[in-house]
Amino acid sequence: MSKDIIVLTDAVLLTCIVQRGAGEAVVDAALQAGAQGATSFFARGTGVRQRHLGVLGITISDEKEIVYVVVPSDQADYVFEKLYFTAKLDTPGMGIMYMTELEKLATYIPPEIAAKLEGS
Amino acid sequence: MGFRLRYGNLLSHIRLRQRVISFNDLVRAETSGRRRYRLRKIDYYRLLAPYFGARTREQVLNVLPVVAALALFQVFLLRTPLDGAATIGLGIATIVLGLMFFLDGIKLGLMPLSENIGFGLPSRSATSVVLGVSFVLGVLATLAEPAIGALQAAGKLIVRAEAPLLHGLLNDYSIALVGAVAVGVGAAVVLANLRYLYNIRLKTLVILTLVPALAMTGYLAGDPLLAPVLGLAWDCGAITTGPVTVPLMLAIGIGLSCAAGREDNPLSGFGIVTLASLFPVIAVMTLGLIVAGNGAPVAATVKELSAPGWYDDPAVAAAIGAVRAVVPLILFLLFVQRFVLRAPLSDRTRVYYGLAAALVGMVMFNLGLAFGLSPLGSQAGEHLPSAFVVTSGVGEALYPYWIGLVLVLVFAFLVGFGATMAEPALSAMGVTVETLTDGAFPRRLLIRTVAFGVAAGMAVGVTKILFHVSIAALLLPAYGIALALTVFSKEEYVNLAWDSAGVTTGPVTVPLVLAFGLGLGEAVGAAEGFGVLAMASVGPIISVLAVGKWIDWMVERKITAEETEMA
Repeated sequence: MSKDIIVLTDAVLLTCIVQRGAGEAVVDAALQAGAQGATSFFARGTGVRQRHLGVLGITISDEKEIVYVVVPSDQADYVFEKLYFTAKLDTPGMGIMYMTELEKLATYIPPEIAAKLEGS
Repeated sequence: MGFRLRYGNLLSHIRLRQRVISFNDLVRAETSGRRRYRLRKIDYYRLLAPYFGARTREQVLNVLPVVAALALFQVFLLRTPLDGAATIGLGIATIVLGLMFFLDGIKLGLMPLSENIGFGLPSRSATSVVLGVSFVLGVLATLAEPAIGALQAAGKLIVRAEAPLLHGLLNDYSIALVGAVAVGVGAAVVLANLRYLYNIRLKTLVILTLVPALAMTGYLAGDPLLAPVLGLAWDCGAITTGPVTVPLMLAIGIGLSCAAGREDNPLSGFGIVTLASLFPVIAVMTLGLIVAGNGAPVAATVKELSAPGWYDDPAVAAAIGAVRAVVPLILFLLFVQRFVLRAPLSDRTRVYYGLAAALVGMVMFNLGLAFGLSPLGSQAGEHLPSAFVVTSGVGEALYPYWIGLVLVLVFAFLVGFGATMAEPALSAMGVTVETLTDGAFPRRLLIRTVAFGVAAGMAVGVTKILFHVSIAALLLPAYGIALALTVFSKEEYVNLAWDSAGVTTGPVTVPLVLAFGLGLGEAVGAAEGFGVLAMASVGPIISVLAVGKWIDWMVERKITAEETEMA
């Protein structure tokens, strides 16, 4: 008896690190832009901009929120751009975002759709 | 088949114009170049708005309920307009801003420094040095406590002829008084740290401290000259445990208990607050005895009034008071950091900003206290009796005697309840307790129990002033009950109950209640208006211990019921 699983390719991970409290807006924006889901968790961290802001750096909290969004590579740039402006990354100290290509992805795939796609 | 275009490539071309820079180049360029950013206006807004917005909202929620309750009560039920409403409003706004800066300053400036001391000192120095440093820190933290300023303001409301010793303590000996309170807290901190090191049970310490305190209370109550000091002494216990002392002491305590090798003692955080509120009581009573022994205040020495200089202006005085309160603490912390720990500060800008913010915040808080909270509290207190008795200001009582009296007591109850529910420290404590008791003592139940205790205590305290009841007659039975319950309760409930008394009396509630009590006392011709805070502190001890007993009983009954079912 052989069990086979379906893996997906052409997936991209967007990781967006913002200050705690700003994560929700990022998640909402990702879903709005067509992402299928988003995961967020809390962390601590500082960056170079935060330190170089001088006294203004006080306003930036060490407590961060990290948002993971996995999107198909076709949508990646679009979502990336949306998140950039939602997270206000054009202001120093607001956070950082990066995109990584994923080698493989696996999750539930509706069997009838899988059959259709594999056939083509 | 024709030409195939990938959809993603198309999208990236029509939507985005990404310019590409190598990260390598960026870092290279930035490390050599200048490091100031040219910020746009929107950047300032984005940086500052969330920071100030969140903090202001927090303080407004903290301050507003109590202030609104007092003001509305006076305007609608006592039908007296607020005197100088604009000044009071401005004062309250200053308090909100001041608290915001001050608490932020504590978090960014004072806390990191004292955490360093807590973690670094025990491993580098002998125990005696650690205890010495924590004693000095306890003393200085008390002096920096915002509510301590309220004590001096309160002194001016005491009539010398009726309570000469009390008047003397608050005016001629005010420095000695504050000093006694501070030394009391310092001693308490040393004892609490010894408790961490040697694992002494809090129950033992509470009994050892409370019994002499009650004995002294009984002795002082017998002497007509000394009796008025009692209310002040017990109120001082509530004043000391505020937003500076508690976190600072906890930071050191946690460091010490880690150093002592008992990291996961769940109770290590508790207890220090309790001792810090009992020791000053004893210290103030002792001071009262000493001053009375010298016989100074009875001789009613009228001081020569010098011409009021610029430093007598209330605004300047508030600012000077604030500087005098905070600067020694800051200097001491920096001194220990520099010369005892000999470690450089990490993240200097942040710490220095924090220290500056603490100073500015304290100045603003003191100003707001002088112009906003104190007048508001004493006004409400003065007008309160007119609800049911004839006073000099009003021709006849506003309401029939009993209705008016009930109204006043209900009001005192509600103010106590509301102020306690809004106290942020309490909800933080509730979470800890829920975890420690595995959900047997739910967070909401704790908050309500404490709020009920404070509220009932305030109502009793107001009754004391209205009917000229001796404070000892109320304190001795109340603390007697608390003591009895303490003896028969589990250690964790003892920790909890005694600490909740200190947690509830925050920097807004204390000055307001103090001024309210004194105004009320003046209006009904009582010798002194102290004691409301003292009653509001013992209330939650009793209520929490009682609820703790009740929970134990419920749990036991459930277990027995299950066992019978099984059999």
